[in-house]
Amino acid sequence: MTDAPLTRADRRLQRRMRRFDNPWLNPKLLWGIGLLLGIVALGLIGRMLWNLDLVFTGSATLKLPPVGFENLRRQPGVWDHPLGTDGSGRDMLALIVIGAPNSLFVGLMASLIGMGTGIVLGFTAGFVGGRTDDVIRVLSDVMITIPPLLILVVFQSAFGDVSLTMMALLIAGFVWQSPTRLIRAQVLSMRQSGYVQMAQLSGAPTHHIMFREMLPNLVPYLFGSFIANVTTSIVTAVGLEVLGLGPQRIPTLGRTIYEAINAGALIQNLWWWWGIPTILLAVMFIGLLLINLGLDEVSNPRLRRLS
Amino acid sequence: MTDSGGKPVLTLKDLSIEFPTPQGIVKAVKSLSLTVHLGRRVGFIGESGSGKTTTALGIMQMLAEPGRISGGRIDLGGTDVLGLSDEQMRLTRLSRIAYIPQGAMNSLNPVMRVENQLWDGVVAHEGKIDPDELKRRSGEALASVGLGAHVGRLYPHELSGGMKQRVCIALGMILGPELIIADEPTSALDVVTQRQVMLTLKDVQTRIGSGLILIGHDMGLMTQSVDELAVLKDGVLVEHGTVRQIIESPQHPYTQDLISSVPLVGGDSFLNPSTRAAAPERDSREPLLRFENVSKVYGEVTALHPVSFTLQGDTPQIISIVGQSGSGKSTMGSIMLGFNPPSTGRVLFEGHDLLRINAAETLKFRKNIQAVFQDPYACFNPFYRVRHALRYPFKRFGLARDEAHIQAKMEEACGAVGLDPDLVLPRYPHQLSGGQRQRLIVARALMLSPKLLIADEPVSMVDASLRATILSNIYDLKDKYGISILYITHDLATAYHVSDYVMVLFKGHVVEAGPPKQVIGDPQHPYTQLLINSIPWPDLHRSWGRDEAGWDPTAEEARAAEAPPKLRGNVPGFDLVVQ
Repeated sequence: MTDAPLTRADRRLQRRMRRFDNPWLNPKLLWGIGLLLGIVALGLIGRMLWNLDLVFTGSATLKLPPVGFENLRRQPGVWDHPLGTDGSGRDMLALIVIGAPNSLFVGLMASLIGMGTGIVLGFTAGFVGGRTDDVIRVLSDVMITIPPLLILVVFQSAFGDVSLTMMALLIAGFVWQSPTRLIRAQVLSMRQSGYVQMAQLSGAPTHHIMFREMLPNLVPYLFGSFIANVTTSIVTAVGLEVLGLGPQRIPTLGRTIYEAINAGALIQNLWWWWGIPTILLAVMFIGLLLINLGLDEVSNPRLRRLS
Repeated sequence: MTDSGGKPVLTLKDLSIEFPTPQGIVKAVKSLSLTVHLGRRVGFIGESGSGKTTTALGIMQMLAEPGRISGGRIDLGGTDVLGLSDEQMRLTRLSRIAYIPQGAMNSLNPVMRVENQLWDGVVAHEGKIDPDELKRRSGEALASVGLGAHVGRLYPHELSGGMKQRVCIALGMILGPELIIADEPTSALDVVTQRQVMLTLKDVQTRIGSGLILIGHDMGLMTQSVDELAVLKDGVLVEHGTVRQIIESPQHPYTQDLISSVPLVGGDSFLNPSTRAAAPERDSREPLLRFENVSKVYGEVTALHPVSFTLQGDTPQIISIVGQSGSGKSTMGSIMLGFNPPSTGRVLFEGHDLLRINAAETLKFRKNIQAVFQDPYACFNPFYRVRHALRYPFKRFGLARDEAHIQAKMEEACGAVGLDPDLVLPRYPHQLSGGQRQRLIVARALMLSPKLLIADEPVSMVDASLRATILSNIYDLKDKYGISILYITHDLATAYHVSDYVMVLFKGHVVEAGPPKQVIGDPQHPYTQLLINSIPWPDLHRSWGRDEAGWDPTAEEARAAEAPPKLRGNVPGFDLVVQ
């Protein structure tokens, strides 16, 4: 099969294709995971090394800039507060050490709950069929058309101060539809497939067919859908926080931005107040996007067939 | 036949095509040289992966990335195809070479009317044309493939498979190309439609006087349709000559294999029946399988009209159910497996109604009725190694004593179907060929030693040379392990050889039944006659598609629907009652 000297273009092509041999070694996927782990590490290491009491109001001088910059009052940044402080004297580093993992937590939590609901409902709809399927399908189709932010604003205003978990639960109520639809469609087509019929011939009970025969083949789709849901959940959570809703007493990235805007940080040129949380959110989204793109390549059979 | 027709239209010289892959460069076609003359029909025959389609796509300059032509020349009536720019090549396609792709029935755009799709091709090559003129030309093209002008106003889903295929032929010939390449144009069609489509294709090709390359794997169809045959194996042209030369004195051993692997009605059997084992003791006096007035209705359509039969099962037998797609034969299979409840009547397995058995009995019933399905590619869960498919049912039915016992049984079963267990079992399904997978499914059935095996088109998706092997594997099950088999197929020739009793199904009715020597060897019912006459045999003395201007399958089918069912002789152990 092999032979003949390869041209440079061939070798490059070969290198590119070798990467498909182990699809999980996808560079996009690895970079994305790296970025997210970086944020988790920031939270963990920060908790160990930094004094977290600095998140409380008035624990430092107000409106100090990051190290190496000066604010409008010509105060230089100090190493006691390397990322500066906000308008009520809270240390920015302590804020993001606590706030960034919180935002990620809400996203993951909401997405996990949404996925769990989606798997259960999707399998039920696909397997049971009939009236049950109709109800689940119509419900998820209707829910998909409702803009979540609108409803959540009403909900959160009614609840007042909520905990992070409560917020995750509320958001989860809006991210279960697309996994439900995805799994239902896959289950319907897989039910007719040869290997499911073979399993039936083997006298396999329903739970074996669902979880041992079908679910493993859904894993790439589930991963992709999960990551997309984390993104949606974080966007929704941050959106609510920036509107001043969501948890009042727990520092989150969205809440920090809300306070910065409220205190007129844009006019006072306190860019670090809103800029640092924004950069962290951007890193988070880029990480999630890269994971999603990577997973797409992993699960795309057209790319796998090359190997 | 010996004169070489008109001037050469296509000359391939040392054509090589390769695909770079991570494992190195795969040479799909290796220095192939061939000439096609105007007015001649050349058949490319070979198994999947032999480079037939790749050659055709190479000629069209339509190779899928990263494939490329690595050497040689393609000369199309004086034009060097490899030297053409993309735009020139675009203009050459369809106007000079037309390609009718594999599964052309799925190549039509589902949201466009047929005539609009015909116009597309004309407008792309000749610029803006007056709508009336376009309409005239599309009407003409459709008429030349035997379709009325009203077909042009229809959407593809409103046409039958054979009609769609004929639309594709009309699309291919509308610009009067010098060369038509038809890639397995009839592979998804039943024999009657296949014959009709091939007649149309040959008729059109003769009328416009072009060259024709017909790609296929069916030796019989090739023999009846082309003038010259090119036999390909692993990208190498192993033999080329007129059909007469190749059929009467094949030189290359591979060609000889191809020809001898076609089962013939009345010809030598490809099976070597071993001595009959004593039938296993059955613990029940009840008949193994009994249909009581079973029918199946889907909405308005009756897939299966009431039928009753009793399969005693004391001596293992093979009962064939033969029919075209839509005849109800697969419905019958899924009713037997309990996947599909019958609309009326009862199915009794050893005296128990399939729909009324409790959970514990279900497991016992499942163990005793097993199946081999049509598509070996879909039958394995891609997530697991193939051993999962063999091990799981064995454990589930409580047959396994311990791991070593399972392993020994798996190895024994693989050996019985001619597979090396160490090589096959630890692999993933996608690493095995279709033939290997299908034999593994047979091995799986063997491990469970059911009382009844339902084989639904077990060989329709594997290469011709493997069909005989798999069928004899299945056949051996009957005698060695005493398993009764229901063989569901559209292939009358194999049914002739393997079965003890044949039922011919037509639109849900049993139209003829009896021992195969009588039913297939000497058919009495018009439908069975139509089926048998439509099979292309690799026999030059049979006329199939020559001088058949008056042949009208629709009228013959209508006549067949009128005729009463013919019940020929009986065989002990199987009783059929038709209302």
